[in-house]
Amino acid sequence: MSDVIELPSYKEQSDAVRARFAEIKQRPIKLEVKDVSKSFTTAKGTVDVLSPINFNVHRREFISVIGPSGCGKSTLIRMLAGLETLSGGSFLLDGEEASGPGADRGMVFQGYTLFPWLTVKKNVMFGLEVNGRSGTAVEQEALQWIELVGLTHAAEKYPSQLSGGMKQRVAIARSLANQPQILFMDEPFGALDPHTRCQMQAHLLQIWKNVDVTIMFVTHDLDEAIYLSDRILVLKANPGEIHEFIEVPVPRPRSEEQLLSPEFLATKLRLEELIHPKTHGEEQELPMVRMTNTEDEVE
Amino acid sequence: MTTTKKPKTQKRPWFAVRKDLDAKRRLLLSVCSFIMPLAIWSLVSYAPFIWHPDIKLQISADRSDVTTVFTAGDHLSKAYYPTFVGAIQKDNASVLAARESGELGKGGSRARRANVKILRHISTPAIANGWLTRKEAEEDEALYMIWKGLAEGTLEGRKVKFSEENIALAQRNWSLMSERSPTYVSKLMPDQPLEKLVPQGRLANPVYLPAPHEVVSKGFEDFTFTSDSDKPSMFERYKHSLKIVFMGFLMAALIGVPLGVLCGTFDFFSKLFEPFIDFFRYMPAPAFSTLLVAIFAAHDAPKIALVFVGTFFQLALVVSNTTRQLETSLLEAAQTLGAKNMTLIRRVIIPGITPNLFNDLRILLGWAWTWLVIAELIGVKSGLTEFLETQGRWRNFDSVYPIIILIGVTGFTTDQILASLRKYLFPWTPEASEKKHGFIGRFFFWLLDRDVYETPLNGKASS
Repeated sequence: MSDVIELPSYKEQSDAVRARFAEIKQRPIKLEVKDVSKSFTTAKGTVDVLSPINFNVHRREFISVIGPSGCGKSTLIRMLAGLETLSGGSFLLDGEEASGPGADRGMVFQGYTLFPWLTVKKNVMFGLEVNGRSGTAVEQEALQWIELVGLTHAAEKYPSQLSGGMKQRVAIARSLANQPQILFMDEPFGALDPHTRCQMQAHLLQIWKNVDVTIMFVTHDLDEAIYLSDRILVLKANPGEIHEFIEVPVPRPRSEEQLLSPEFLATKLRLEELIHPKTHGEEQELPMVRMTNTEDEVE
Repeated sequence: MTTTKKPKTQKRPWFAVRKDLDAKRRLLLSVCSFIMPLAIWSLVSYAPFIWHPDIKLQISADRSDVTTVFTAGDHLSKAYYPTFVGAIQKDNASVLAARESGELGKGGSRARRANVKILRHISTPAIANGWLTRKEAEEDEALYMIWKGLAEGTLEGRKVKFSEENIALAQRNWSLMSERSPTYVSKLMPDQPLEKLVPQGRLANPVYLPAPHEVVSKGFEDFTFTSDSDKPSMFERYKHSLKIVFMGFLMAALIGVPLGVLCGTFDFFSKLFEPFIDFFRYMPAPAFSTLLVAIFAAHDAPKIALVFVGTFFQLALVVSNTTRQLETSLLEAAQTLGAKNMTLIRRVIIPGITPNLFNDLRILLGWAWTWLVIAELIGVKSGLTEFLETQGRWRNFDSVYPIIILIGVTGFTTDQILASLRKYLFPWTPEASEKKHGFIGRFFFWLLDRDVYETPLNGKASS
């Protein structure tokens, strides 16, 4: 593979990138995960979905979580968001133990979870009102968040009148309006078409730059993970455990041209190795049966 | 300049698998779906060669050999009618034979009394033809003159056309009668027996299938008839029936909806209440009728309670199911935004389920209507059902049909109105933005449109 282009190791970081990681490590720890595990009890016995795992996330870091299906990446962030119970361990948010769902941890889901009976503005106001605020200040604040995601023109529309990308932008604004400590995103762009998806990624980076928020982003798209994150948490399946916590060597600010840079490709190569390991000789070959009479050869 | 040719629009075929027809065709077919049964009903009623298994008597007579009495208006089967006519003809033949042989029978007052009876038999066809009013039916002088008119050919039946046999018979009778006296004098009725009118009838459908015009005119009569003060008018009966249905339904909804929402939200309430409700709904509501009368005594309470029992258990289960179908992700999203139990119910679950809840209630209102008739039968019969029951017993089926149709029309219209209100109540649902306003919707908009009240016709816009 390296016959074509000579790729550096994904561990080689330029000075700027090294300096950035050094700076990040200076920041206070936002999330501390300690021995968090998950197992289900079925009729056949206990199934471990996630063995105890440990990691830290610093303030304003962008972390992606990737791994093969069934590795428990969704379960992990659902537990951290308080939507599922922990089978073991605990996690600290700003040094304090947290449990159950709360406004300090936002979440953006893959499906569209806007409230269909509320307009875009009312959707964004929901979190603020639920937390005991009211009045025109709330409305003004909501409009600011809507402006941040570039949907001022659609503030009075109902979700059913919006496109998929717009819905997810509203969902992001709605979560951010609560000014959560950390924002969990569970494959938020998974249902979008490739073009919208690219736009949304650039958009998310811009929002993240302008807001004081730490993001944990679950995805199965390797390009997306590298393009967005500071670090990538790679999980292994059966049972889920940390494979590697990769520091992305691609410098910021990111742009689409970097998708073909050596650092980017090296990281992608490494992720491929981790997630889809080559199984030599085990791949099944298709039997050769010819079903056409034409003379033309396609190869 | 060249004339632009209108592009040929491709017409969809009438029959296309799983494809919607255009609006015009839809409307046409909807209208047809109501016209078709009406047309079939009319065809069966008005085409005498279709079905018509009965003969409806226009002129009747008493048989001397059998005590059964038929009067005009009664239905006889086609098979029995000739036997009946034959029996009367046989009676007449023996009267003629006796007259010819000169046997004058016992005669005297007894024969005269029998003859008065025969004289009066003409009253029913006479009234039908408009020769007599209903009040004159027992006035023998007038009836005497009708026999005269019939015999001399001055009276001719329009509605009931007398057969030649009957006219000849009337002439023979009249010659005997006129011999004694030109006008009615009871002492001067003939001493020897007169011939009876031979029964006549026309083809008819069974009593349980009156013709459309009969139903319409009878319905109009029943609804405009202001009855004796001790009996409720039809409009009062209707109001009473509506009250039973809506009260029963309202109470079921008032208790059932909150209970259903609780059961659908908390597994605790679901497991605590639903198994019993599920069991209870299999017990038919009418089975409780006597119990309900014992508990709630007479009047409306047991009736409302029956509608309640019939609706409530279904309603609670349907609502809890609807609540459970609300997407979990909406609840999770609200939780991550900081919503707790009560806020979740108030701000997510309730607004989230209302469009479906509205549909559920529409369907259950239909259920409530089905219990109406049984509810009104228990305890003291009341409302439309009492009328329905009484008329049905008297076999006045032309009075029964308007009531049945009224109940159907009421239920159907209520449902249609509620259905069309949906898009105004829930503007966020996808169908609200897709569909155009229907007939009722346009009517509501017209009512709401303030411009209508400020047109020059109202004198407001004077310049």
